[in-house]
Amino acid sequence: MKVTLRTDVLTNNNKAADFNRELFQNSKTLVINLMSSPGAGKTTLLEETVRELSGNYRIAVIEGDLATERDADRIRAMGAKAVQINTHGGCHLDARMVAAALAEFDLDEIDLLFIENVGNLVCPSGYDLGQHHKVAVLSVPEGNDKIPKYPQMFMRTELVLLNKIDLLPYLDFNVGEAKKDLTEINPQSMLIPVSARTQEGLYEWFAWIEGAYLKCVQQ
Amino acid sequence: MHEMSLMGDILQLVHEDAAAKGIGRIEKVEIIVGEISNAMPDALRMAFAIFREQNPDLFSEAAELVIHLEEAKAECVLCGRQYKPDQKIALCPSCQIPSGKVITGETFQVLSYEGSNRQ
Repeated sequence: MKVTLRTDVLTNNNKAADFNRELFQNSKTLVINLMSSPGAGKTTLLEETVRELSGNYRIAVIEGDLATERDADRIRAMGAKAVQINTHGGCHLDARMVAAALAEFDLDEIDLLFIENVGNLVCPSGYDLGQHHKVAVLSVPEGNDKIPKYPQMFMRTELVLLNKIDLLPYLDFNVGEAKKDLTEINPQSMLIPVSARTQEGLYEWFAWIEGAYLKCVQQ
Repeated sequence: MHEMSLMGDILQLVHEDAAAKGIGRIEKVEIIVGEISNAMPDALRMAFAIFREQNPDLFSEAAELVIHLEEAKAECVLCGRQYKPDQKIALCPSCQIPSGKVITGETFQVLSYEGSNRQ
């Protein structure tokens, strides 16, 4: 007996993503899914973001890693609420894991929720978590070839934070070329050069978040 | 490499549907995999073989996975040219402007399955 399904493989993930999306909409919480390779500086960027914005916004972070509570501890040390998801070998976060983590928050008490995905430029890009925005972090030491090599990540994100620009004088990275490569994959995507260490460029990232937040609460 | 978890999703969809319809062991699963869907056909085949071996009560011994590859195609919104999106996904080869949109190649679907009626 043959049965035709024609069902998206990620149907169950997408149901959970829709469930999350409705919760975020009801509580007017802006949710950003942050993705990058391991070591691009996602957690350091979030530490600086929490430091700068926690005076005006109630911030929470969901941390995705294979193991340890280290990243969640770093965020908690900055005074924000953080929940750690350990994927135990899984290479990405899925919407169901996020739904389970949300049970630990009162979303009505949260304005900004950052989801720091597992460090990986391939798998996380395919999973809708119910977020408002997908943002990629790329760091200068990774080299210019990351954008053309991982087009499926950068075609699905709407902002690239180019981190560690304080190292530009010591490396061959070409910012203009990165912008051109990004435009040829995803002309809608923005690129903001930043350094979480020296704070350079971070004001532009904070302004982007504030703009996104206003849009989110007006909907 | 998350094809084991993707295959787990595929087989969960198949088994849920089969259980509802009273279908027993699965003999064949057909899926559509787009070229830029982030899933590797070879790794999916390997994952299927592992699941089949581990669950002899759910699959017939000769159960097969059939993969229909969906070619990736993009189309320029300015000149209408269709092209294969490689690295520079949005760059139209004629206009040399990032004016292309992906039209196919992102599909990742369970198309159908076959199974025997439960005894």
